[in-house]
Amino acid sequence: MSTAATKPTTIAKGITSGLRAAMERDPKVVLMGEDIGKLGGVFRVTEGLQKDFGEDRVIDTPLAEAGILGTAIGMALRGYRPVIEIQFDGFVYPAFDHIVSQVAKLHARSLGFVKMPLVIRIPFGGGIGAVEHHSESNEAYFAHTAGLRVVAVSNPHDAHWMIQQAIETDDPVVFYEPKRRYWDKGEVGDGPSGSLGSARVLREGTDVTLLAYGPMVKTCLQAAEAAAEEGRNLEVIDLRSLSPLDEDTILASARKTGRVVVVHEASTFLGMGSEISALITERAFHHLEAPVLRVGGYNVPYPPSRIEEEFLPDLDRVLDAVDRSLAY
Amino acid sequence: MSDNVVAPLETAFGVDHHVSRATAPENPVRLVQDGGPEMVQLLNPEGERVSHPEHDAVVDALSDEELRGFYRDLVLIRRFDAEATALQRQGELGLWASLLGQEAAQVGSGRALRPQDYAFPTYREHGVAWCRGVDPVNLLGMFRGVNHGGWDPNEKNFHLYTIIIGAQTLHATGYAMGIQRDGAVGTGDDERDAAVIAYFGDGATSQGDVSEALVFAGVNNSPVVFFCQNNQWAISEPNEKQTRAPLWHRARGFGFPGIRVDGNDVLAVYAVTKAALDAARTGQGPTFIEAYTYRMGAHTTSDDPTKYRVSAEVEVWKHRDPIERFKRWLLTTGRADAAFFDAIDDESDTLGTSVRERCLSMPEPPGTDMFDHVYATPHPVMERERAEFVAYQASFEEAQA
Amino acid sequence: MALREFKLPDPGEGLTEADLVTWHVAVGDTVKVNDIVVEVETAKSLVELPVPFAGTVAALHAAEGDTVEVGSVIITVDDGVGGSSDAAAPAPAAAAPPAGAPASDAGAPAGGSGEEIAEGLIGGTTSTGRTAVLVGYGVKQTEAKRRPRTGGGAPTVPASTNRSPQVQPLSGERTRTLAKPPVRKLAKDLGLDLAAITPTGEGGIVTRADVEAAAARATGTAASAQEISDAVPAASRSGRPTASGDREERIPVKGVRKMTAQAMVASAFTAPHVTEWVTVDVSATMDLVERLKADREFRDVKVTPLLVLAKAMCVAVRRNPGINASWDEAAQEIVLKHYVNLGIAAATPRGLLVPNIKDADAMTMRELADAIGTLTATAREGRTQPADMSGGTITITNVGVFGIDAGTPILNPGESAILAFGTVSRRPWVVTAADGSERIEPRWVTTLALSFDHRLVDGELGSRYLADVAALLADPGRALVWG
Repeated sequence: MSTAATKPTTIAKGITSGLRAAMERDPKVVLMGEDIGKLGGVFRVTEGLQKDFGEDRVIDTPLAEAGILGTAIGMALRGYRPVIEIQFDGFVYPAFDHIVSQVAKLHARSLGFVKMPLVIRIPFGGGIGAVEHHSESNEAYFAHTAGLRVVAVSNPHDAHWMIQQAIETDDPVVFYEPKRRYWDKGEVGDGPSGSLGSARVLREGTDVTLLAYGPMVKTCLQAAEAAAEEGRNLEVIDLRSLSPLDEDTILASARKTGRVVVVHEASTFLGMGSEISALITERAFHHLEAPVLRVGGYNVPYPPSRIEEEFLPDLDRVLDAVDRSLAY
Repeated sequence: MSDNVVAPLETAFGVDHHVSRATAPENPVRLVQDGGPEMVQLLNPEGERVSHPEHDAVVDALSDEELRGFYRDLVLIRRFDAEATALQRQGELGLWASLLGQEAAQVGSGRALRPQDYAFPTYREHGVAWCRGVDPVNLLGMFRGVNHGGWDPNEKNFHLYTIIIGAQTLHATGYAMGIQRDGAVGTGDDERDAAVIAYFGDGATSQGDVSEALVFAGVNNSPVVFFCQNNQWAISEPNEKQTRAPLWHRARGFGFPGIRVDGNDVLAVYAVTKAALDAARTGQGPTFIEAYTYRMGAHTTSDDPTKYRVSAEVEVWKHRDPIERFKRWLLTTGRADAAFFDAIDDESDTLGTSVRERCLSMPEPPGTDMFDHVYATPHPVMERERAEFVAYQASFEEAQA
Repeated sequence: MALREFKLPDPGEGLTEADLVTWHVAVGDTVKVNDIVVEVETAKSLVELPVPFAGTVAALHAAEGDTVEVGSVIITVDDGVGGSSDAAAPAPAAAAPPAGAPASDAGAPAGGSGEEIAEGLIGGTTSTGRTAVLVGYGVKQTEAKRRPRTGGGAPTVPASTNRSPQVQPLSGERTRTLAKPPVRKLAKDLGLDLAAITPTGEGGIVTRADVEAAAARATGTAASAQEISDAVPAASRSGRPTASGDREERIPVKGVRKMTAQAMVASAFTAPHVTEWVTVDVSATMDLVERLKADREFRDVKVTPLLVLAKAMCVAVRRNPGINASWDEAAQEIVLKHYVNLGIAAATPRGLLVPNIKDADAMTMRELADAIGTLTATAREGRTQPADMSGGTITITNVGVFGIDAGTPILNPGESAILAFGTVSRRPWVVTAADGSERIEPRWVTTLALSFDHRLVDGELGSRYLADVAALLADPGRALVWG
């Protein structure tokens, strides 16, 4: 793995440099997506890459997500390692069929002869004041699909290293990028924090465990800060990998604190919190001082931007759940 | 294809003059397309009437009042669009998709619709909304973030804006299939026989949904007009990225007529669209219209076109401005005078002010709105979550800023 | 005369600052809404800015050639309308416009820090302090601060997470006791029936303290689970308070803390102890033991005098049921047990424990032998569970293994009788021959000492019981008679 610059950078730029490093390392890595070439992507994540690697490796595609995924599958069959950019979360659905019917199944179908080393990059989540379809959190659909790996980054360091790890693995990875955090700054250290499937304890605590990923990690860290002023010591874990889940880290924390709150923007009904709650209930049952609580979007379609902040989990909603957990 | 040169295409339909040379080191300026000889035009950029045997009659039959009405539509819709753009710059709208340059394509086709016809827009058809009688302020709600589309589609036969690219073409086709089953096609009753028009852009034609819509419409012989506003750009992707052949050629492959019209010529657009709608409503099936126009502004207000296209190209299209040519024609043919134009300008200012005021005074939606209308029938989760939400919000000392 | 301020917006290019190139107006000029008032230069091009107000230009806040930060006021317009002046340019109510720079927090976009951000519109700052995106108002910055709540911070408990049982059980449906998983496990480990414990938690929930208190009541000693599992019976050399000093306390259901605290304090024993002795010739028992040892049915199990005593005690209980009971002070009831959970004091690595054999009275001699064997082995390995030690009804303490004749054993809490089994040794005994002549013979002799709770066991009952046990050891055949 190449060493990134140690000056502070953003999640977006961390991914840019990660993509660059991966492309320098392996000529089979190609980028595919709408407006990723000349424009550098609507979030500028692929900025400068077409100029340096050419149009054959940084491909501006026609406006067709199914077409992008379908042709990416074909390129992978030919030995390439496509990294696809879906422009916005809400636009992935035309490609859903190819992802779940083909990308997820081809390795098993072919008894391992065929690999699908795709990375599907999806900017996700809300809080950007957008119109419909630009603020979705659809990670659960893909995490529910066997054959896929699903990860979500929350900071520039992980963004830079996990994109490289995702490209290197031979399994298909759905790579979620929290678009509202794209410009949050942080340091990028030497080397990845852990394996692609590992979670990370960002803040050790004793009273309640907060489990989050993507955009909600920062929210939870801020919540822990505020809680500290109330004399409460919260543990904050960045799940990073949604499929597979880092069960050991999750369960160790659940057993330590006995109280868990899962936080995500996605609606709670059948969201990631459901699976995590079941896992903890089954495997850490006797340690639970309170039921696993979930803080998520209400079970409604993502609302118009003027009221999105009332829909999304925020620091206060997280701490409300912490209060309720401690009251048991 | 790394040098981006597309050679003239010798096809079954003759030589395709739709040629573009993209940026090459020794030729930084793209040759701008001119639409080709088969493009239907009744009014050239200089404001001179051009004859077209097939479509002259329809246009010649328009009264001066109707024609002046077109001008009014063009100017007011441009003004509305400019006001909305300014409002976005001032933070009153989250974003705005400007139709600058596409006024004639929208007004020409919008005015060809009969009241019983149904229109399926994308998210840029403010000019068609205008023609349908949808209050312009209704269009602002979505961009201001107070709703996802604030009007009843059945009231003006104008569907809500669809942001997912191309999806509405299938919806339009299905609606047309419904019209067929209602027996409202080909009865000879002009007041009843209905047609559907589906709007979409050049980028959308790459989406599978659009091809599927053409398939369904074709095999069902449905009364739907596919109206593609080819404004040359899909965010940063030019036509060459979306298609190898001219877009209007596609229809042939699906088995029905395609036609290219000068999208900046309101008369031609009107004539061609009317013909297509009438063909649809009389049971002759679908037509594909490619309105050849240009996106003068950015994709949306936060886009920066200077990153991917040169201003020289924009300049060329400035000279093809739809309103300028029409104004000149009205003036030189004595159909309108300075007084008329001044009156329209005044009305335009009034509209701008009114839109601004009404935008700024749009009420803030309450958070509980998100629980309304999720389902048509009572739903236990909605009841419970609404109650939780209300109780939670009430538990704070101050209302959320 | 309201002064309206126009702040330099992000004209869709994500910049953090711009160079002011040309003013199109001067102070005193009249402007209409959307009049172009100034040209600014960004990294890419010249941008004309339309003013959102109409009125008279009151002030220009930057000069041509200045570099102006996005969000700072560039022109003030007097709109000629009465009312308060702007503190801020009009902004959507949903955004919280800060003074001009984005809100400070660790994650502020590069725009706020003044550092160079990527060229192009995305990621820069808007006039409302948000971070610009292609498709909307942009990202709002947040702080690590909590909004103050009403009700003194009492958490909202939505109905769905209500800890009280919401649903009334359907008729015929068994109502479950409510308790947290760790508490359930504790009750199970202690062998306690959750349903029998009085809950003090909100909504009828059994708390950990409730379980511990119930355990304390059941055993009569200190209430902590720890102490229970390390239980040392009162009748031992542990140094615990003996009958004279112990008090058993029932704490009224009033405050979890009070209950917990009092339960934790060593609870004393209220029973008045009386001990009676009998010395008995157990030669016949020893013969029986030898015979059983050789018996095929007892081939692979340990047979000792203790085994015979255990059996004898069960048989004697049947004849004197009153001895197998306990005193319920709170209910003012004597609880007669119709089963015998026979406790056997055992020396273990953890100390002296009293595990009991459940339903010893229903066992055959062989089963009893097995049970004693298991009990002993488990105790020796230190694996005796709390459940093994609870629920006893009568106990044997085998002081004889230490060569001791007798003692005054202390009752196992919750029981009313305990028998100390002295050493069985050869002692001179007066044996009467059939013809009435007497001689001194060495016989196997032991002393049995029975302590009992004089509240419910009178001298007669205690004496009869002890006499019956002695008679059975003297003549085991009597068990056949007594059934």
